[in-house]
Amino acid sequence: MATDALKRVNKKMDAGKNSLRQKISVPVLIAWLALLAYGAFVIWTASLTIEEASFSRQLLGIGLGCVLAFMCWRSDFSGLAGMTTVLLILDLIVLFSPYIPGLSYNAKGMTGWIKIPLIGLTFQPVELAKLITIFFMASLGAQYNGRIDTVREYIKFCGMLAIPFGAAVVAGDLGSGLVVFFSGAVIIMMSGPRKEWVLCTIALLIGGVSIMLALDSVLDAALGHDVLLKQYQMNRLLVFIDPEADTSGAGYNLLQSLIAVGSGGFFGKGIGNASQSGAGFLPEAHTDFVFALLSEEFGFVGALVLLALFALLIFATIRVAHQSDSLFLQLAALGIVGMWTFQLLEEIGMSIGLMPITGIPLPFISFGSSSMLMQCAAVGIIQSIWRSRGKAA
Amino acid sequence: MDPQVIVILAGLILMAAIIGSLLFLRGYSGKFTFDTQTGTRPRASEGEGSTSGVKSNGRFKLLTMGVASVFAAIIAKLWSMQMVSSDYYDGLAEKNQTRTVTTPAPRGRILDRNGVAIVENRASLAVVAYRDLAENRIVVRHLANVLGMPYMAVLRNIQDNTEGAQSPHTIATDVRRSTIAYIQEHIDEFPGVRIAERTERSYPHGTLACHVVGYTGTVSQEQLDAQEKMSEEERAGSIAYQSGDIVGQAGVEYYYESLLQGIRGEQVVQVDADGNVVGQSGAVPAKSGSDIKLTLDINIQRACEEGLALGMKVAQSTSYHPTCGACVCLDCTNGEILGMASAPTFDPSVFVGGVSSDVWDVLNSDSGDHPLLNRAIGGLYMSASTIKPFTSLAGIEYGVYTADMSSNCTGFWTGLGEAWGKKCWLESGHGVRNLETGIRDSCDVVFYDLGKNFFYDEKNPEGLQEMYRRWGLGAKTGVDLPSEAEGRIPDAAWKETHFKDLPADQRAWGAGDMTNIAIGQGDILVTPLQMALAYCGLAMGGTEWTPHVLLSAVARDGEGDVFSYEKKKRLTAKVKAEGALDVAYRGVHSMIYEESPVTAAHFTNLPVQVAGKSGTGEKNGEDPYGWFIAYAPFDDPKYVVAAVIERGGYGSTCAMPAVRTVLGALYNSPDDRPYVGGDSTR
Repeated sequence: MATDALKRVNKKMDAGKNSLRQKISVPVLIAWLALLAYGAFVIWTASLTIEEASFSRQLLGIGLGCVLAFMCWRSDFSGLAGMTTVLLILDLIVLFSPYIPGLSYNAKGMTGWIKIPLIGLTFQPVELAKLITIFFMASLGAQYNGRIDTVREYIKFCGMLAIPFGAAVVAGDLGSGLVVFFSGAVIIMMSGPRKEWVLCTIALLIGGVSIMLALDSVLDAALGHDVLLKQYQMNRLLVFIDPEADTSGAGYNLLQSLIAVGSGGFFGKGIGNASQSGAGFLPEAHTDFVFALLSEEFGFVGALVLLALFALLIFATIRVAHQSDSLFLQLAALGIVGMWTFQLLEEIGMSIGLMPITGIPLPFISFGSSSMLMQCAAVGIIQSIWRSRGKAA
Repeated sequence: MDPQVIVILAGLILMAAIIGSLLFLRGYSGKFTFDTQTGTRPRASEGEGSTSGVKSNGRFKLLTMGVASVFAAIIAKLWSMQMVSSDYYDGLAEKNQTRTVTTPAPRGRILDRNGVAIVENRASLAVVAYRDLAENRIVVRHLANVLGMPYMAVLRNIQDNTEGAQSPHTIATDVRRSTIAYIQEHIDEFPGVRIAERTERSYPHGTLACHVVGYTGTVSQEQLDAQEKMSEEERAGSIAYQSGDIVGQAGVEYYYESLLQGIRGEQVVQVDADGNVVGQSGAVPAKSGSDIKLTLDINIQRACEEGLALGMKVAQSTSYHPTCGACVCLDCTNGEILGMASAPTFDPSVFVGGVSSDVWDVLNSDSGDHPLLNRAIGGLYMSASTIKPFTSLAGIEYGVYTADMSSNCTGFWTGLGEAWGKKCWLESGHGVRNLETGIRDSCDVVFYDLGKNFFYDEKNPEGLQEMYRRWGLGAKTGVDLPSEAEGRIPDAAWKETHFKDLPADQRAWGAGDMTNIAIGQGDILVTPLQMALAYCGLAMGGTEWTPHVLLSAVARDGEGDVFSYEKKKRLTAKVKAEGALDVAYRGVHSMIYEESPVTAAHFTNLPVQVAGKSGTGEKNGEDPYGWFIAYAPFDDPKYVVAAVIERGGYGSTCAMPAVRTVLGALYNSPDDRPYVGGDSTR
């Protein structure tokens, strides 16, 4: 039976051997290019009123991203499957690189940046670490060959995710840590554990987080200083429940974002009429709250177009993963699906009050080159996986 | 097409796309047969690059559904925000961008009847800041240095709560131009500090008529709360106060707040997120309040105040030490109050820009004289002998002591038995006196007999009190000023409830009580205005006009209604007994000219004939309270002047000079005779 199927697959691939479709997943390509164009347009509108949103810098980021995507597409990543330990060490080095003297770059109170020596480019290494973690988790998952037999193995696997997750959180960014966690969690779930284990883990996580939050406030009160969560992180979680409780402090950003999205209405206010982002009420309108900016300017229609493009990208990527013959590459592609899905959920969710506020970018849209480069690289990796799907056979 | 319909259609298409993609994947999965039908998977351990990508359709379905549910949640929330509640958020966005800047409207001025300003407005520059500034100690210290104020005072003003948390707090008012200029030039050094233009109350005549005009202050939280509770209709006609507004808190400022208060101007401005004004729209100019003309005549008012001072000075020469008193002058033909003085006075300007708590405590201290109290309407005193004309009317009206009757005054009256003997103020005795001469000489014995007769009269045991009340004593006069006291005409029912904790025999109304109130002593309490008004009624043959201080209200800009006070009849006291009033008239007239040559000398130099009555209230353990009430001219009464001086001794000595000073001002005939504190007549 297996040989029958293989023959059919090979036959189909032979038929289109030289076609573009064999080398490139067209839906992924279309969705990606459309998102890049949409994102560039949004940042251009933002650049009209927000000084920091430099349109030319964003175009440069997109250009570099395209080059990187091309390079990734031409590369073969299947070799990374056996490099689990190397990937983990690399991941940790990248995550902690902002703490390496000579590399660390602290300007305007930002942390988590490095300045690459000689070239002088600044970069957020956590964006790169997201991809490395995905490959690390995929290389682990691939070893189970589609089924995790014992609870012991399952727990070990989960424990391995805790390392990059913990490192990402300790290195200073809860939002990126959650991205790492979520994409890793998708890989674990797709590696074949039993359903009961996964459900137990989810229940344990929810219980654990609740206990930690309760413990945090108790410990903070008892010891008089922040113990587990920093106070601003706690505030963000609290205002998420009631944004109008504190309109000047932590709730302000959320409230302004809600107003921006809600007042956008059906067709949006149009370019230049968006008072929330244009007059500066919406903070970080070109980065963390770019979805609110977009929703205010282009309304429900504009948001639906964006969501449709992301839906196309993600579902097409799932299809790519589904068709991959290498378990390692399949899991890597699914990790990228997890990464995009969570970033989308978090970035849009926080703008509309579905999720607590964290500072993560919206892929392909938010202003900033680090994210743009790595997200384009992720698209390149997906295309590479598509390109290599027949090779293993 | 309705946008919502379009979106529903678009949503259906999206749903179809999601379902289609799921089916699409399912279709694809059919081509992969790595999974065996029974669900067991190949377990061979392949090396690197092996072909055994193990698939599980269940997992992929789950993942696809998970991703789809993320999209569904986001779209559902967006739908509710952008399609359903869009208007709500539109409103919030609008509110975000606009601020309403209010410009305070000047209060109306308060003028005397001839248009002389008693209370005016003046422009003042104030330094204000929001409460947050208190956290920036360096700026506060710098500001204190520039303003020349103590650091703690500046800090206290910033943190003061009376102006409300959201409005800027006044740090200093009446700041010098040069200081303002310095702050404006170096505004970067004073973040959050602003200069505000204010109009403030000014009092060109100082403390003159302070009790009548009252004072202003920041609207209190209680007043704002009261406004909150008002119904829509009530609110429609009144001014909407905001925290920090200046409102009248006493006197005319309080009573005629609705006339004096202006309507604040409003300007809607567009702002950006930093609060910078980027545009403006919809301006409503401020409308100043109406000017008010009072019935007071500034000259009569001054005479009332100077008269009180003179009376107290005379009293001091007779070893009394009065500091408190009241003097009021009315036009008995229409109820207009020409002058109303209360001593001691206060300076209403201390309330401008907020009274400090130290000053407030001094003004309200229980050990002090309560200068904020307007004693003319809020001071309660025994009427003393000034009530005797009304006692006479009662005796004649009810027939218990007619004009033909008389009593023999020996200086000691034993009408209720030897043990209950009472002294007349003239201990040597007046001899035989009837009602008329009893009023003239203020002979207590006549009125003791009268009171006793009432007490034992079966038909009208409380006819005396009825007569007092008939003239409006023990009841509010209805004057257009706040905090008027009611007074008290005691009777059996009152005593029963007032002393309900005492044994029955002490609660019972006795003949002694009756003889006490017959001469205006005991538990009787009246205000100077009440007593003056009773004399107005007497002078007018029974008609009392409601006393008032408002003459008219004029809008400053010439627009709006010109409001005039229509005179209102307070009551008409009718005395049925023939000739009764004449007895009283002759009594009060002869009291001025016949009782004592010393008193007469002060009135014979007036161009008009005067009638009047003195009184001296006896209070246990205190120096006597001196009263004097007069009306003039005797044959065609126009003015009534009443004065009372607390602990000033005999009325003819201390209160009479006050009344005479006012009469002198009314008839432009100042008294040329010196006052000697030797007259002990009552």
